[in-house]
Amino acid sequence: MKIRIIRYTLMAIVLGLVIYLALGYGQRSFEAWCPFGGVESLWGLFTAGEFNCALGALNLSMMVAVLILALVAKKSFCGWACPIGFVGEIFGRIGNKIFRKKTHPGPRLNNILKLVRYPLLAIFLYLTYNAAELIYRGYDPYYLIFSGFGHGSLGMVSYIVLGVMTIGAFLIPMFFCRYLCPLGAVLDPFSRVGLAKVTRDEQSCTDCGLCQVSCPHDIPVQNRLKVRDRDCTNCLECIEACPEDGVLSLRANL
Amino acid sequence: MKLPKILIPLLVIATLMGGYFLRNAFTQPTAVMTVGDGSGKMLEWIVDGVRCRGTSDFFISLFHGVDGINGITTYASEHKVVFTYDPDKITPQKIREIIEQDVLFNDGSRARVFTVMSLNN
Repeated sequence: MKIRIIRYTLMAIVLGLVIYLALGYGQRSFEAWCPFGGVESLWGLFTAGEFNCALGALNLSMMVAVLILALVAKKSFCGWACPIGFVGEIFGRIGNKIFRKKTHPGPRLNNILKLVRYPLLAIFLYLTYNAAELIYRGYDPYYLIFSGFGHGSLGMVSYIVLGVMTIGAFLIPMFFCRYLCPLGAVLDPFSRVGLAKVTRDEQSCTDCGLCQVSCPHDIPVQNRLKVRDRDCTNCLECIEACPEDGVLSLRANL
Repeated sequence: MKLPKILIPLLVIATLMGGYFLRNAFTQPTAVMTVGDGSGKMLEWIVDGVRCRGTSDFFISLFHGVDGINGITTYASEHKVVFTYDPDKITPQKIREIIEQDVLFNDGSRARVFTVMSLNN
């Protein structure tokens, strides 16, 4: 519980700062902090040496910083800082109370649906690089929410997309992060090799499964010796949930 | 090697701060206009309304043919504009007047699009 308080506090601070920027305070817009903006800017920088649309140096430096973080500590940015991840997790917890996990997809379907984000990433990057415009804005919950469906949103299409994401977040925890987030897709290969990961002591484990129940991404931690799963955000909920002392721990290993 | 759990939030905070302080290493403009060798006195302003590539291009278009402007570079995400100009031909006050002029829209209406927010020079 202690770790969750720290985590939620940090995420609430980040969310508060984003809202502060979205309200027009501060020199930079909330959009300037998004690491995915760094990915969107790459083609324009390589071909013309200029940033596309509203992207800037902070997007790029945040992208580099988050990629380095993923190599060190997997997708910790997603589990400890991303405001959309935070909102998704809160919605998912509310949904769990209402539906009691009956709406979670099984492992097979879950694994298939997780692949959706890769073609989505490819399509959005292709369209963005082709048009030199931020095409993703119209589908991006971060932009749509904090800009109040601002310039670049697609009217009814954006309302439907955000509506589906909101309903999905209640039915399946981390719905957007699991299946749709393009930044998550970029981070996946880096997360796989992330140095700091949850490790399980097989001898002392009682296979109670509480670790998987507590995991926002339904990772079957009780079947892993090292949690290399690309979705692991190092939220450490599994370690907190484990009733046995020292079975799960955070360790630095390849 | 066992790691303390508190390491993760510390790494995340370091990442957010590192990303912020690293930004100067990645600074690239949004749009650039240069006349001649682009030399002259420099002027750096924060301009409300310069917020993307389109508005940057439009901002620069206000100065096409204006004598004394040797270069304009915009940084949209910071709303920053850097001028190089010939002080014998144009003054900062005149540049500001051009920026803050009312612009004619397609429907015949006129409105101010850009406003100088801060003067760093």
